[in-house]
Amino acid sequence: MRGDSFSMSIENIPDSPMVSRKKKMKIRKVFDKMTQWVTPWRSNLESPREMMILRGDVEQDEFQYASSHCLSSYYSVFVVRLAIMVMLAILIGLLTVLTWHFTRIYTKQSLKTLAYGLRYELLQRPVLRMWSVVNTTSELTTAQVKLSEYVIKKSDKPTTQEELVEMYQAMKDVTWALFASAKALNAITINYRNGFVQAFHRDPASSSTFYIFSDLKNYSINGIGPEDVSGWNNQSIHGNMSAIWYQQQLDPVTGDKLGKPLKIPPDDLINIAGISQVPDGEASWHVTVSKYMDSPLLSAALPVFDASNKSIVAVVGVTTALYSVGQLMRDLVDVHGGHIYLTSQEGYLLATSTNGPLLKNTTNGPKLMKAIDSEEWVIRAGAQWLEKTYGSKRPQEVHAENVKLGDQRYYIDSFYLNLKRLPIRGVVIIPRKFIMGKVDERAFKTLIILISASVCIFFIGCVCILILTNGVSKEMKLRAELIRQLDARRRAEASSNYKSQFLANMSHELRTPMAAVIGLLDILISDDCLSNEQYATVTQIRKCSTALLRLLNNILDLSKVESGKLVLEEAEFDLGRELEGLVDMFSVQCINQNVETVLDLSDDMPALVRGDSARLVQIFANLISNSIKFTTTGHIILRGWCENINSLHDEMSLTVDRKKPWAPMKTKLVQHRNHLQKCCKNANKMVLWFEVDDTGCGIDPSKWDSVFESFEQADPSTTRTHGGTGLGLCIVRNLVNKMGGEIKVVQKNGLGTLMRLYLILSTPETADQNIQPDFSKYGLVVLLSMYGSTARMITSKWLRTHGIATVEASDWNELTQIIRDLLEMGSRDNSFDSQNNIADSLRAELSNIKEIKNPVFVIVVDIGVLDLTTDIWKEQLNYLDRFSNKAKFAWLLKHDTSNIVKTELRRKGHVMMVNKPLYKAKMIQILEAVIKNRKRCSGLRNRGNWNSDDSSETSGEKHIDKSVQPSTLHSPVLKNYLIDATNSNDDSTSASMTQKNPEEEDWKDRLYSGIALDGKNLKSLEGIRILLAEDTPVLQRVATIMLEKMGATVTAVWDGQQAVDSLNYKSINAQDPTEEHKSSEEETANNSINPQSSLRNSSPYDLILMDCQMPKMDGYEATKAIRRAEIGTEQHIPIVALTAHAMSSDEAKCLEVGMDAYLTKPIDRNLMVSTILSLTKPSSA
Amino acid sequence: MDLVQMQKSLQDYTKSLFLEGILDSQFLQLQQLQDESNPDFVSQVVTLFFQDSDRILNDLSLSLDQQVVDFKKVDPHVHQLKGSSSSIGAQRVKNACVVFRSFCEQQNVEACHRCLQQVKQEYYLVKNRLETLFKLEQQIVASGGMIPPVELGF
Repeated sequence: MRGDSFSMSIENIPDSPMVSRKKKMKIRKVFDKMTQWVTPWRSNLESPREMMILRGDVEQDEFQYASSHCLSSYYSVFVVRLAIMVMLAILIGLLTVLTWHFTRIYTKQSLKTLAYGLRYELLQRPVLRMWSVVNTTSELTTAQVKLSEYVIKKSDKPTTQEELVEMYQAMKDVTWALFASAKALNAITINYRNGFVQAFHRDPASSSTFYIFSDLKNYSINGIGPEDVSGWNNQSIHGNMSAIWYQQQLDPVTGDKLGKPLKIPPDDLINIAGISQVPDGEASWHVTVSKYMDSPLLSAALPVFDASNKSIVAVVGVTTALYSVGQLMRDLVDVHGGHIYLTSQEGYLLATSTNGPLLKNTTNGPKLMKAIDSEEWVIRAGAQWLEKTYGSKRPQEVHAENVKLGDQRYYIDSFYLNLKRLPIRGVVIIPRKFIMGKVDERAFKTLIILISASVCIFFIGCVCILILTNGVSKEMKLRAELIRQLDARRRAEASSNYKSQFLANMSHELRTPMAAVIGLLDILISDDCLSNEQYATVTQIRKCSTALLRLLNNILDLSKVESGKLVLEEAEFDLGRELEGLVDMFSVQCINQNVETVLDLSDDMPALVRGDSARLVQIFANLISNSIKFTTTGHIILRGWCENINSLHDEMSLTVDRKKPWAPMKTKLVQHRNHLQKCCKNANKMVLWFEVDDTGCGIDPSKWDSVFESFEQADPSTTRTHGGTGLGLCIVRNLVNKMGGEIKVVQKNGLGTLMRLYLILSTPETADQNIQPDFSKYGLVVLLSMYGSTARMITSKWLRTHGIATVEASDWNELTQIIRDLLEMGSRDNSFDSQNNIADSLRAELSNIKEIKNPVFVIVVDIGVLDLTTDIWKEQLNYLDRFSNKAKFAWLLKHDTSNIVKTELRRKGHVMMVNKPLYKAKMIQILEAVIKNRKRCSGLRNRGNWNSDDSSETSGEKHIDKSVQPSTLHSPVLKNYLIDATNSNDDSTSASMTQKNPEEEDWKDRLYSGIALDGKNLKSLEGIRILLAEDTPVLQRVATIMLEKMGATVTAVWDGQQAVDSLNYKSINAQDPTEEHKSSEEETANNSINPQSSLRNSSPYDLILMDCQMPKMDGYEATKAIRRAEIGTEQHIPIVALTAHAMSSDEAKCLEVGMDAYLTKPIDRNLMVSTILSLTKPSSA
Repeated sequence: MDLVQMQKSLQDYTKSLFLEGILDSQFLQLQQLQDESNPDFVSQVVTLFFQDSDRILNDLSLSLDQQVVDFKKVDPHVHQLKGSSSSIGAQRVKNACVVFRSFCEQQNVEACHRCLQQVKQEYYLVKNRLETLFKLEQQIVASGGMIPPVELGF
């Protein structure tokens, strides 16, 4: 992602616009490509990137972080893929190798065994043949010897030539018989001692048989003797040139002579065994060659002993051709292939399976050939290999495989045949191809197939893995995306938190100068030497500043609620009275705009509820002020009704039917209720429903939800025309939610907005609520003459439900008509006149009223019905005065009703005057006053404070008697709604505040909710004893003076420890009279306090102002210590924290350790006064 | 004539103190608290402030000159100075203290030294100005005049 930052920096380079743009594009592309190449998955990041660009460079590093995260995840995916593929490859490879190995090895093994058997068999046969050849030879030789011995013995010691010839002839016959019987014999020779040789010979080439004999004439009989044995040698046969050799052809079957004997040279002689071959008289074997045969011959020689067995008389030699062995081997090889050869121990070839010559022709005739010299290449190579491998120490058996001869592989097997005197070796050479050729081919094919198959499987597997991991990695990417989004959301929330924190801090900082401004304005207002205009202006500024402060407070509230630090207090309060005060307050604003403010609370509303009254009032203040802002004509109704949470379900269906759009909220409420029931079964929870209904411009349905967002206004032009920040409704919603309720804009018939909300508040257990006086039995008739139709309708409806006959009149004419109709019953003319004008329904009602016996008429007249613009109102008053003996007049005054009117009314004896708006409580008070008055004698009527007495008696509530109680200790809201006419002054224009009577101050208190500061407030802390714990001397001094100026008695200590000590000390010496009342300015006030202080003289101070940060023991510790000391007693000294931090968490900490309130430094005088008063008053009231 | 001029110059001087931001509304409140029963309340408080602050600044200098700075000691001092300065309305001292505290929280010795100098500077400035103010007032009182009420001119 470095490319991005780089390209961004490139964009910042100033250049001529067109060129730079093109360049930028190019560079951008290059970088895009680069980054794409580096990060191929970048395309996935496009959308978050756009989003992040919108969010600005704060998210830049997040972006980098995210992409690096992505990179690493990509690598991990890559590595995983690779690993899986490698594993797959290994698996498949292993499988392939194993398959190949097993198939091949097993075949090979079995084949090898078979091949071994074959080779063994192959060799065994020629060897056996060889054996049989040798056997035959041996047997024949032995037979010949035995026969010879027999014949020779028979002609023992032939002495004559004839005998000798006879013997030789016998020998010849015998030998011939033998020779003829054994066809395989090549030759039989008999070599006599005297050198005579007889031999039979077969020539296979010509297939003729010869008899070979030497000339008898040269041999003497004497020659035969043991002593001449040494002279008997082979040379004599060939070397005896004197002997003449004859060869006579014989008939091969009969042995008859064919032709004459031919003389042959000794060279043509066959091998004739001589005495040399049997030197020890034993049989001997050897291989010879003959020039008639191209194969070696096996010749055996045996001596023939004489009768005494002492001397050898002749040597018999039998020669057999090995040709047949070679023939057998050839036959075998023809079938099986390969080569077989037999050698003697010395390595001379005896037989081979080939047709090659076994003998080599030398100058000395044919000779035996060694195997390594064989003309046959395979045999030569095999013999050479054997020679090379084993040398002279050749083992008995050799089995070699895979011997490479030339370019082919062979099996070579060698066997050893141990014949006595003629050991023979057999060698079999079989090309490997013959046995394993097919197998090798098959194995090769199998291998190829296996490899190709596994490669295929591998590739398919890789593709599968790719597909699979692609899915997984996609999911991973999605998850990463999700995580990143969540992270981003968290950050966004955090930044929004920072924002509200910042707002909170800012507004806190702003509050300080605002407090200064307001404080200074208060100082200015209390200045006596202001002109009226100046006073008005300053008051205006004061109002504006208050509004500004309220805005700041709103922001603070909002951030408090949003950060969850807002803690709602739980205290009992009179809901009705709070709302009445609110409506009173707003009606002042409304009247200026021709808007009625109506309070319509149902009778079942609980009088006392537990909750945070200030926040509740804030909710409605915001809602109503919002409505007022948008309503120019018409009315604003604050409706309230109540539902027991337990009975909610039963009413559900009804409510749903009636108010369809409300249904979802209802169900939610039911859920909520279930939850509530679970968690707090005992608590007496009430669902209080409220509606704020106005006839203003209304809110577009699409904005119904969004108006509750902060800084959100239904119409952007609102700020221009109406002002405001759009915070009000947001705070309202937050507060409502905090109180377990919900708020919503609801569809309304007609113009305007209808906000509906519910709150879940608990009511005190001991509430003896809803004591509604029963008015029906008094026969009251009320004539409501008000020009505001809504308020009139609601009031009359309420009156009627309580059994009071009510007549409505909207203007002066109607009023006079009805009055005349009702009160001037005697005069027929008038009634006739009225009957013409009055509507039928009204007439019916009037006639009903006339039925009532002894009615008490109460006429409630709005002052607005009178024509105040001209002087006509006096006439009208005079007119009404005529009926004052028949009916009671109650007057509804506006807050700006001029003094002259009031004076006039008072002069006429109209004492019942209430300020608008008229609501239930005021109506009840009027009615009660009337009833009371009626009960009493009429003489009491003129008493100034009759109404307050009445109310205190009838309502059963505690009422502070003004004449008795000092004004400084008034409860902030008075029950008395009636304006005492004797002392009335004009509120708005009065310049001298000091002249005001207590009621009006109360009124003003209500109006400005305690903000207004007048001259009296300077001494408002009269007689209150305050312990000030503060370590900073400056602050201590300032606070002391400030408090003392307001009449309080201040004891200052330097730290928490001293505070605790002085408290203990004081409580011990509580009776010490000198400690009390050091300020002697207002003795009277002290007198009035005295009873209270004597009541509470167990605690020496009324209040403690405690700095939080102090040496030795800080405020928190000190508070804890004091609260600990209080355990077990009924005391509770109010402790007010003084803190410089002024954060809500500090407040929480203060309250946690047991403090009652907190003030921020620098000390704001008004706030301090109101706090102190609010904490000290309840105990005095 | 002389008296009137003196009063006017006092007014201007007071105004300038507010305009320069050396003092704020708290000082006005102090002046409001001064009446016949406490004729020299403001100067009393301010003198108290001077004594207190001199001590605190001394302590602060000592603490910060230590080899190892104990911020747990420094912080309450600054806090106290902030409280007292805000009580008499010495706005610039208070602001300097706020900055000082933030550095104390970061335990930044060097910045704390700088802040201490800043606080001292502001303190001596406000001290000088207030002393001049009181001198002017005394002159007016000595020449039998009334101290004019402070205008809300800031």
